[in-house]
Amino acid sequence: MIAQRTLDVSELPVGSVSSHAPLWWGQLMLALIEASMFFILLAMYFYIRLSMDVWPPPGIQLPPVRPATIVLIPLVLSAAGSYIASEAAKKNDRGGMLLGLGLNIVLAVLFLVARGFAWGEWNFNWRATAYGSIMWGILYLHTIDAVADVILTVCLFAAIALGYTSVKQRLGVHVDSILWYFIVLIWLPAYVVLYWGARFVGAR
Amino acid sequence: MTPLVATPVREIDDDRERRDLERSWRSKPGLVGWLSANTHQKIGMRYIVTAFIFLLAGGIEALLMRIQLAKADNTFLGPDRYNQMFTTHGTTMMFLFAVPMMEGMAVYLVPLMIGTRNVAFPRLNAFGYWMYVFGAILLYWGVFTNTAPDMGWFAYPPLSGPQFSPGKRVDFWAQMITFTEISALCVATEIIATIVKQRAPGMSLNRIPIYVWSMLIQSFMILFAMPAVMVASTVMLLNDRTIGTHFVNPWAGGDPLLYQHVFWFFGHPEVYLIFIPALGFVSAIVETHSRRAMFGYPALVLAQLGNAFVAFGLWVHHMFATDLPQIGESYFTASSMMIAIASGTQIFCWIATLWSGRVKMRTPIYFVLGFIFIFVLGGLTGIMLASVPLDLQVHDTFFVVAHFHYVLIGGALFPLFGAFYHWYPKMTGRVMDEFVGKINFWLLFIGFNLTFFPMHILGLHGMTRRIYTYPSEMGWEPMNALATVGAFIILLGGIVFILNAVNSRKNGEEAGPDPWDGGTLEWATASPPKDYNFLNLPAATSRYPLWTDPKERVVVTGLDDTRREVLVTTLMDAEPHHRLVLPGPSIWPFLTALFSAIGLYGSVFKFSAYYVAMLGAFVGLVGWFWPRRREAES
Repeated sequence: MIAQRTLDVSELPVGSVSSHAPLWWGQLMLALIEASMFFILLAMYFYIRLSMDVWPPPGIQLPPVRPATIVLIPLVLSAAGSYIASEAAKKNDRGGMLLGLGLNIVLAVLFLVARGFAWGEWNFNWRATAYGSIMWGILYLHTIDAVADVILTVCLFAAIALGYTSVKQRLGVHVDSILWYFIVLIWLPAYVVLYWGARFVGAR
Repeated sequence: MTPLVATPVREIDDDRERRDLERSWRSKPGLVGWLSANTHQKIGMRYIVTAFIFLLAGGIEALLMRIQLAKADNTFLGPDRYNQMFTTHGTTMMFLFAVPMMEGMAVYLVPLMIGTRNVAFPRLNAFGYWMYVFGAILLYWGVFTNTAPDMGWFAYPPLSGPQFSPGKRVDFWAQMITFTEISALCVATEIIATIVKQRAPGMSLNRIPIYVWSMLIQSFMILFAMPAVMVASTVMLLNDRTIGTHFVNPWAGGDPLLYQHVFWFFGHPEVYLIFIPALGFVSAIVETHSRRAMFGYPALVLAQLGNAFVAFGLWVHHMFATDLPQIGESYFTASSMMIAIASGTQIFCWIATLWSGRVKMRTPIYFVLGFIFIFVLGGLTGIMLASVPLDLQVHDTFFVVAHFHYVLIGGALFPLFGAFYHWYPKMTGRVMDEFVGKINFWLLFIGFNLTFFPMHILGLHGMTRRIYTYPSEMGWEPMNALATVGAFIILLGGIVFILNAVNSRKNGEEAGPDPWDGGTLEWATASPPKDYNFLNLPAATSRYPLWTDPKERVVVTGLDDTRREVLVTTLMDAEPHHRLVLPGPSIWPFLTALFSAIGLYGSVFKFSAYYVAMLGAFVGLVGWFWPRRREAES
């Protein structure tokens, strides 16, 4: 037995589904890491643009804008699913989490399928000069990122559906939304650069 | 919550707490248990020991080069072997020694200094360590199979491109980068989350120990810098070599200079993210051994932050010999010189602290003084090199080699050795021998200056770096011989350090919890600390909690010690917010790293192996996060 001045914390809750959780910060840092990567890639796009006289190089079309724009619809809407799930996670509402995650998964898969079609319309691959390399690089990395998060979300959905709804899993649902918001948000500047950038800055 | 000053005095049943904590923090037995460990002391120590082994490996490579250069027209190493040696030396020292060593020290020290039981993501921590090990295996697999990289540690294309570097040497190097960067990003993420959310109650931002500040700043730098090198080494270089992209191919719209830009956007901050933790070591050593609160704490923290910001605006000074517009060069000259402002502020703060404190001239202080001497010299040549005309004259000569060894060894290695002497008692429970420590210091200090000072002059005489030999008519032989003698004195210093560390482990004086009468929280617990760090988590009643009246000290009670519980506090003022159960030991981080490594090794040969890595990582992560029913019900 020792006697000491003490701060009793036994009344505090265990775990927190909020921005106070260390995991929330971890997820935010992950988004920052990926954001740095994408901004470096976008900077590279402009650098490569400056070092080429004709943009895009002869024989290569500009990537069609219309399909890429249609792809944005399910992508942006899917964030609503993440929002619903993350709010439900805070309130420990299992039905709400399943609804939100389900909506997110359906729309995200729709987005990926639509992207597949839009991508298929490009008439060049990564070997078609540095232009092809940077275009494919950015689109590929973003797609892989999105696929990985969809798989993660499916796993979370399964866990919640099987009744694992402790504070750990709910926090998982909450921070999963951060990653998905990131994937949606980072695509907006990338979309503008890849599909409109060349048109703004003197393409054929 | 009760304010800390008004907390009541209570009886604590320390025997029961100790029993519970011993049980809940126990590691699993056997090999599987060893691979499953995830407490920060164990992982931190593994980082430190592994990185030290690579310091020795990099040192041996340096000695081989010095033997080769000791006399003119030498044939000890052929040109090809020499190329492999200098590239492996640079790569090892930067990626396998310096960064992992700084990360390991932080993994060990930060949770102790902020008064918590483990890092925020213990399994990520273990995963990061194993990724580092697998990356190191990849590089040294190459070294022992004549596939070591041979194009210089920054791998400039077109030399490193498919045309001029056929074979797999560059590919091994490029993918090794991925491993070490993932590892560094894991640590950075967990260090930030730990510092932001797991500080002892009362440790508001203005009470964070300066070393912890330096790690917070360094970790943010990692987040912004490391992705650049992965883009450079894998997205650009490796893909150009393996699947035919054209990022750096000037005949297809690419640009080798683009690689240089992206690489140095990482490469310059890289230097600072080795150097900023070292500044933290210096601060911790200075304040403890002069037994005085740090002079100019806010100025010091802001100066480190300033260094970190400016570090991202300097990269082009590595590229002054390329055809950049002059206005750009002038900008980078100015920003390079700006570094002197923040660095100078820090040096003045340390000198003021030493001046007005009661300094005990122990070995760590010797290393700090050695650091100040060497680093200022390196800084002076840095100011010279920041000016474009001078840089153009000495570009790629031994003058540059001398400069960056002065800043890196002076700026990072000397503080690191000081830190070893300073925290060795905490990590082992025994103090290192003082007398041998001073011999250690003088050998390193003399050996270092003997090795690298002549290189300034050699560089001015026109000796370029990365040449495997030179004709005797050049007159470079005496100074090269001198540098080689110096290198062996450094080796002797290293041996003395190892002997001292090994011997003190057994025969050193018992340290007790606080051999230096330190003020920060790591000295509040046993040496070496138990797996749970503190019997009762401490609260921070001031910037130096251990220098306040023992009657005023406060501890935290009410955590459930039968599981791995820690206290989460708020961002700014560190008010208690909630309790958090940290995950226990698990084999899955190791397996996830192993599965990913198999795929990433394969990607050196075939792009589709990336999908193997992804599948492997997926399987690993499912095991890692597999929920247990008991938790679901609680």
